[in-house]
Amino acid sequence: MIARKVTLIVLAWNRWDLTKRCLDSLSGTDLSGAEVLVVDNGSTDETPTALAGYSSIRVLRNPQNLGFVRGNNAGIAAADPDSDVVLLNNDVEFRQADWLQRLRSCAHGDPKIGVVGCRLVLPDGRLLHAGTYILSDTVWGQQIGSLQKDVGQLTATRDVEGIVFACAYLRREVIHAIGPLSEDYRSYFEDTDYCLRAREAGFRVVLCGDVTLVHDEHGSTHGTDDFNPIFLASREVFRKKWAKALDGRYSRDLLWQSIMNFPTGYAISTREILRALDRAGVRVTYRYVYGPGTPFPVAEPQESADYLLNVLAQRGNSVRPPVAVVYGQGDVFRRNRGRRKVGFTMLEVDGFPPEWVRQANRMDEVWVPSEFNARGFRESGLKRPVSVIPLGVDPDYFHPGVRGFPNPAGEFVFLSSFEWGERKEPWLLLKVFNDEFTAGEPVRLVCKIINKDPQVHVRQEIAKLRLKESGGKVSFLFNREFPYYQLGSFYRSADCYVSTGRGEGWDMPLMEAMACGLPSIATDWGAHTEFVHEGIAYLLRVRKTIPAVAKCPYYEGFSWADPDPEHLRHLLRRVYENRGEAAARGAAAAREMAQRWTWDHAAGKITARLAALGV
Amino acid sequence: MRDADAAIARLEARVDHLEKRLAERSALLRSLTREVCDEDLLTMAFFAAGLPPLPRAGFGLRGWRETTALVPGDVEKTMKELWRSVTPPDFVETP
Repeated sequence: MIARKVTLIVLAWNRWDLTKRCLDSLSGTDLSGAEVLVVDNGSTDETPTALAGYSSIRVLRNPQNLGFVRGNNAGIAAADPDSDVVLLNNDVEFRQADWLQRLRSCAHGDPKIGVVGCRLVLPDGRLLHAGTYILSDTVWGQQIGSLQKDVGQLTATRDVEGIVFACAYLRREVIHAIGPLSEDYRSYFEDTDYCLRAREAGFRVVLCGDVTLVHDEHGSTHGTDDFNPIFLASREVFRKKWAKALDGRYSRDLLWQSIMNFPTGYAISTREILRALDRAGVRVTYRYVYGPGTPFPVAEPQESADYLLNVLAQRGNSVRPPVAVVYGQGDVFRRNRGRRKVGFTMLEVDGFPPEWVRQANRMDEVWVPSEFNARGFRESGLKRPVSVIPLGVDPDYFHPGVRGFPNPAGEFVFLSSFEWGERKEPWLLLKVFNDEFTAGEPVRLVCKIINKDPQVHVRQEIAKLRLKESGGKVSFLFNREFPYYQLGSFYRSADCYVSTGRGEGWDMPLMEAMACGLPSIATDWGAHTEFVHEGIAYLLRVRKTIPAVAKCPYYEGFSWADPDPEHLRHLLRRVYENRGEAAARGAAAAREMAQRWTWDHAAGKITARLAALGV
Repeated sequence: MRDADAAIARLEARVDHLEKRLAERSALLRSLTREVCDEDLLTMAFFAAGLPPLPRAGFGLRGWRETTALVPGDVEKTMKELWRSVTPPDFVETP
């Protein structure tokens, strides 16, 4: 098949330094089948004369600055009418020789694809853009992944609501169908407008994750005085045109009462669930469920660092919404404000406390993430319907391509991440590892430990274990808190993940490590057996269940696992010595997590239950 | 008058001496930035200024700081510090 011809349209207005950098870096890439057309938007600096020195470039000179939209439209009109078009800002730089071939190949991967964008990073390496979304509440476009350190996240090619037109591949078919950029805008919002029009016409808008350009954002408009008036005028045009349509993408309303702005498992998973529900067309309003009068009487910080989540928390809602989900410990189910009430919870032992069951029996239905918990709830006296709604993982942030920082000395690294306490049974792993290996072997256990209990002195407790200097080497990362988006990078710095706790309500770190392609060792008991099996991990045998003795009052009267130390010793050695087998299990785990256990899968189950509830 | 001149000369000499030492220490610390991790550099700077060193950010029991506060960190920086703290110099990546 002959590749479609492409016209690269570089819009320039003054700032010859940027245009020169753009063109020079462009010339070092594979431009086969492409023509470069510079639209000089009435520059008054050296741009016109300097462009004359680039003989292979066609120049279209506008007599004055027509603005971003009309300038680009002039370029589209001047392009070969059979060619695809790539719109480029003059403040982008190219560091991938085959960027254009990748974009073209992506654009022609499916006849339905009309618009293709790419990842953009700032000159300092931070991610700037991996697609956009816009909410009808605020009509303010947001860039996905913006300002996160680039660790290789969001590299999959996927459908997005919009892209920024600093680099936009437009297939000729979409131009034929919907025309050029809307001249209702001078600059700003025209890109989102175009993407929404393309989607309305039946085309897919795609972010090509394996192309990354450097974008010195606003380099071409900085220094001008008219940024804000142009932006605000365009926003008003966009609001009138699209606000109703954007609102129409929601088919359900839901009140989500939980916790969001604390570093807890419920909070982290709430954030992911809310994002996935928004993608799934559920208009979610968030409210904090804890505070005075609850087991966690602390007020929640108002702001998260996430624009979407802040908007969800600020949405107004009725006093008694049609349906509300309380997602947290079962003793706050009573705070559910919905006409239809759902209680969503989990626990790490084989039953549920009587107060949780009492409150759960006042719900219309109960959700838990695992069959393990569904069984435990029923056996504890739950009479209401119970559904399994699994938690998930975000494969854009947890995948084998995320950049890790392995030990340059080549040591094999076992990694475990846990909160210090009885449930996680850390002394078992520390003792067994230290006994099984010697200091002379190139292997290390890294334990990321969290302790928030002032009555616990972790250093003393570890010292009591009397780990041998001559035994397996252990390093600790104590009370370090990494940005959540960087955790994939943390897992990718190790070779095997180990989770040897006595019981789990889900075990998100284990799932995240598996999604990153790490072979994992995990106790064969608890909620995580929902997603872990021998084909994709190493299951640690349990000798028996024993009474769950811990500070946590919720465990009283229930049991959890007693993992087998000898089997753990065997598994650690087996992974260490059979790295090919371990790597194959890790790779299989990553595939399975991405195929079956994403947050979008979780949101799909939630919307199905909402539909069953008649919402 | 002669006493005053002598005092000024002594002070000027002292200032010259201190400036020279400061320049030497700055040069040393600048060269060390290419060889040692941030934490070691801080420790050396504190020592050079006659101050007690900061407690080490421990990755083992020896430098442990017991706390219930969570300390924000960057994965790349932390892992590189960790590997440098446990890795023989032969294996340390050259920049």
